[in-house]
Amino acid sequence: MANREGMVRKTDATERMTHWILAGSFLFALFTGLGMMFHHWSIIPTILGGYYAVKWMHIFSGVVFGISLIAVIIMWWEDAGKFVEGDGKWILRAGGYLWDVKDMPPSGKFNAGQKIFFWFVVVFGILLVITGLIMINVLAFPVVVARWAYMLHAMSVFVLASFLMVHIYLGTIGNPGTLQAMLYGWVTREWAQFHCPRWLEEHDNKAQAKQE
Amino acid sequence: MAEYIKLIDITKCTGCRACQVACKQWNGLPAENTTFTGSYQNPPDLSYNTWTLIRFDEIDVEGNIKWLMRHDACMHCEDPACVKVCPSPGALVKTPEGAVVHNPKYCIGCKACMIACPFNVPRYSPEKDEIAKCTLCYDRITDGKRPACVTACPTGCLDFGPKDKMIKKARARAEEVGGYIYPNNPKYETHVLYVLPKGVDMKAYSHLNPDPKMPATVLWWKNLFKPFTLLGMGGVAGLAALHYLIKGPHEVEEKPSKGGDADGE
Repeated sequence: MANREGMVRKTDATERMTHWILAGSFLFALFTGLGMMFHHWSIIPTILGGYYAVKWMHIFSGVVFGISLIAVIIMWWEDAGKFVEGDGKWILRAGGYLWDVKDMPPSGKFNAGQKIFFWFVVVFGILLVITGLIMINVLAFPVVVARWAYMLHAMSVFVLASFLMVHIYLGTIGNPGTLQAMLYGWVTREWAQFHCPRWLEEHDNKAQAKQE
Repeated sequence: MAEYIKLIDITKCTGCRACQVACKQWNGLPAENTTFTGSYQNPPDLSYNTWTLIRFDEIDVEGNIKWLMRHDACMHCEDPACVKVCPSPGALVKTPEGAVVHNPKYCIGCKACMIACPFNVPRYSPEKDEIAKCTLCYDRITDGKRPACVTACPTGCLDFGPKDKMIKKARARAEEVGGYIYPNNPKYETHVLYVLPKGVDMKAYSHLNPDPKMPATVLWWKNLFKPFTLLGMGGVAGLAALHYLIKGPHEVEEKPSKGGDADGE
């Protein structure tokens, strides 16, 4: 692995690919889903080949989303799934994160906000996939279950799509130097010291141990 | 365009099934092979190729068997749940006449209408991957004719006409026989009305929903979460833009670099 002056590698290729398969499948399912939910947006099914084609595209992208969701949960369970000491303080200072980023409790690879997003994706993502699977073969279920499935599917989309906008903003223009962590994996040491000092420390310790 | 109602006076139904046959004939629907199940119910249920049928029930009235016959088909709701949930424009349409019509050309076979319908009417064909149901013979009524089932009915059980006239007739008939009108929820209008006979509880009729209404889950889905999805995405994006304009991005504090990464993992 080539070294880059003044930079550290935040993510490996597997993490980046899994993240983008999850993100891409979600965005495509969202795009096709909104195309079917809002009749004024018939432009979406029109450019994709009609409503019947869009139904199957929605189902297939949903299946890809479900599989990559499982992969993401396994992959980031240790880093994002477990809250550690300091995360509580971080959450209490979340407003500070938005308005005054100085003196935040030091974060590991993911900060507590990212962990909350991870858990929203886990809970509402699983709800989306389960209700989606019910809707594929909806006649096999009691009508009460089926009716709840449609409603919870829409509710989960509302929650996840809204939170997604936060994620996109904070991962791109809201935090310069962050997006590259998910594009080619390298971030500056300053970025790492600023955003995830605990992770940088661990990273340096590991690298040192390897050298010795 | 005048609104119409199909009136079903159950007190006059003899269970002859002429309506079933006429429906099949006019709509070009093939017959189904059925087997005897110990009941006069035949065919057993509505299907992709059976848009109306006579529901047959036997009840015990003071030690005597009573036969209940009921013409069952789409109720053509004023505010149809099936149209509300249908994702494909034109696949299910509420017409000015009051008929709720499906168009196989646009149906994508998602089955959402079947789940939303308070009367359990639309039926699915796995082979065609689309649904079908009674159209109130929309092709006939827009041509000044009555639906095929009404035309065929020999006893006057089925009638069809302008909304006001049919409501008046239903009320008069219910009073005359001491029966009652179904559905009688003023908040849930349909373009099909029943006059049910005296002394028979509506719960005795199989497949008759005693309290038809738009499912609450459909209202939450379409009236709440659907607009909220756009409000949520747009609102958050707007707040993010405000944050960017007012506060600006989180610039990383410059510190002297300690040199390159040792090995990059």
